[in-house]
Amino acid sequence: MFLMRFTERAYVAYSAEDVKNSFRSAVRLTFSNAHFDPRLGADLYNEYLDEYEYAEEVGFDGLMLNEHHNTPTCLGAAMNLEAAILARTTKRAKIVLLGNPLPIFDNPIRLAEELAEIDMISRGRLVSGFVRGTGVESWATNTNPVHNRERFEEAHDLILKTWTTPGPFRWEGKHYQFRVVNPFERPLQQPHPPIWIPGVGSPETLVWCARHHYPYIYLETDPQVTLDMMAIYAQAAKQVGYEPGPQHFGYLVRVHVQDTDEKAYEVGQGFLVGNAGVGRIPLPSEFMAPPGYNSREATRRLIEQYRHALRPDPLYGGVDAAGWDKVVESNRVIVGSPKTVVKKLRQVLSVLRPGILGVWTNDGTISHRDAMRCLTLMKEEVLPALREIGKELDLPGPFEQAP
Amino acid sequence: MTTKEYHEEFIELAGVAIHLLKGGQGNPVVVLHSVEGPLGWRSYHRHLAQHFTVYVPTLPGFGRSQRPPWLETLPDLARFSLWLLQEQGLEHVSLLGYFMGGWLAAEMAVMCPHILNRLVLVDAAGIQPQRGEIADIFLLGPEESRRRAWFAPQQSPEYRELFGRKPSPEERELHAQNQETAVRYCWKPYMYDRSLPWLLPRLRVPTLIVWGREDQIVPLACGELYRQAIPGSRLTVIDQCGHYPHLEKPDEFSRRVSEFLLTP
Repeated sequence: MFLMRFTERAYVAYSAEDVKNSFRSAVRLTFSNAHFDPRLGADLYNEYLDEYEYAEEVGFDGLMLNEHHNTPTCLGAAMNLEAAILARTTKRAKIVLLGNPLPIFDNPIRLAEELAEIDMISRGRLVSGFVRGTGVESWATNTNPVHNRERFEEAHDLILKTWTTPGPFRWEGKHYQFRVVNPFERPLQQPHPPIWIPGVGSPETLVWCARHHYPYIYLETDPQVTLDMMAIYAQAAKQVGYEPGPQHFGYLVRVHVQDTDEKAYEVGQGFLVGNAGVGRIPLPSEFMAPPGYNSREATRRLIEQYRHALRPDPLYGGVDAAGWDKVVESNRVIVGSPKTVVKKLRQVLSVLRPGILGVWTNDGTISHRDAMRCLTLMKEEVLPALREIGKELDLPGPFEQAP
Repeated sequence: MTTKEYHEEFIELAGVAIHLLKGGQGNPVVVLHSVEGPLGWRSYHRHLAQHFTVYVPTLPGFGRSQRPPWLETLPDLARFSLWLLQEQGLEHVSLLGYFMGGWLAAEMAVMCPHILNRLVLVDAAGIQPQRGEIADIFLLGPEESRRRAWFAPQQSPEYRELFGRKPSPEERELHAQNQETAVRYCWKPYMYDRSLPWLLPRLRVPTLIVWGREDQIVPLACGELYRQAIPGSRLTVIDQCGHYPHLEKPDEFSRRVSEFLLTP
């Protein structure tokens, strides 16, 4: 089992009133950066990097980062910079980028170069994830949302070719044209750094991913719904001739450990203002999914095909809207003492059987101090137990068994 | 007028089927719709059909018209639409377009001015205003865009008919499709073409520019820019009227447009 640690690196120093007063009352995209204090930002970036460095020390196999734009819910607007720092300041853990939003890059060659540098500086520890990005990423970079999937796939193909084919060569695609593709620096890992794809289960992406043998990381999705989506992946994998195993699946879940169940229950509530932002006003639907961002035809076709396998998320509307007790009961956020957390994670792992477990240790208003205590407790009691469970349930990660 | 004022047909072109409404008699007038699709045979079509043969094509990707996979941009759309006119045998034709359709009409005009009889631009996109902006309807969302587009919706029977009720699931699906197509053609740069104002002076065709004075989507300043750029053109402004003069004040709109089109 591959164990990686994640936080979305939230910025929470603003009020619900500030959000309400923003354009269309949105916490992403249009929430004014006048609310950002770079002095606080300087502290936060350094604290978050300290946490990642400590996460390696306590025994995590991977340090997972993500990227979003125009939002206080994630300070990772230039994730590759954080990755480059960790490439140098850590020694053992994989640097897992989940992921670079391909459609928003007008120059994927530059991205291939950045990732190659990170791979070399880290001496081959990069895991290069790719995402479509949310609709907010399309808005923030003025990338036409109707081209999102086409650009995702073409940029992916171009980067792969850049990494694996000796240059110079020429690329004349629909969205990208380059006369001389020949970046001198190539990644250390051969033929290229591992590629993992995170998401919340768009059927088109699941099928695409299965065809490429890329592990798919479910981002804190409902466990039952996750099983449904795994079935879509498995069916697509069978069509190209293989049976997926735990090494093809990852699961990201919020997990917060404190010395006692009571304290963890209390502190863990800080998650509720993390990903959802302070104020918890739903975003306008076209911010997250502008017209054309999801291909209606392909989505409809796939939904029809997999209708039997699709259930609505029981916490539809987000964990923030469901109420804390319900969230905790449903294991969407796992909080407690080390003993409680191990017990709950055993349940989740038994059902989902992922070879990759992403542990989202802290977010929102959870303090740096509580985050560090959480990591310490994980070192002593949680991570060793999870490794045992991984062996007992036979959950090989992608570095134990190639996907 | 016969009981059926218009008929509909599908035209095969470039491997796709294009939906067309056609009605009336007289010189041809082609009406180019905007981001919300043609919205059927409206009262201003009926007015115009008293004097002209009115063609209302549904542009590719909207409504029931298919989009050829290569058709991605507004200039593509202009070239395709000129081909459509050719296939319809329209060698001397008047174009009337509103908002996106106005921009399209202007692009077609500068590409192929010799086929034009008259040009009517209504609250047209296509030119970047020197002050202010063309409102970002995609960012504002459908509700706020609609609020800004109408000056006094209660004065329009068209509004009640088109938007005064809950849309059916099919209408919602159609709306999503039309939005997606509009985003494809108009996302970036949003609703203008930087070279268009420099090409408009080549036009020698009689041109009427119609604007709702209270348009909060495309500023009246854009109408002024069109007037300055097109030699001999005239700007007529309808008071107490928003972004859709053809829907909000259909009688006054039709009267001004018909007068212009009928002037020898």
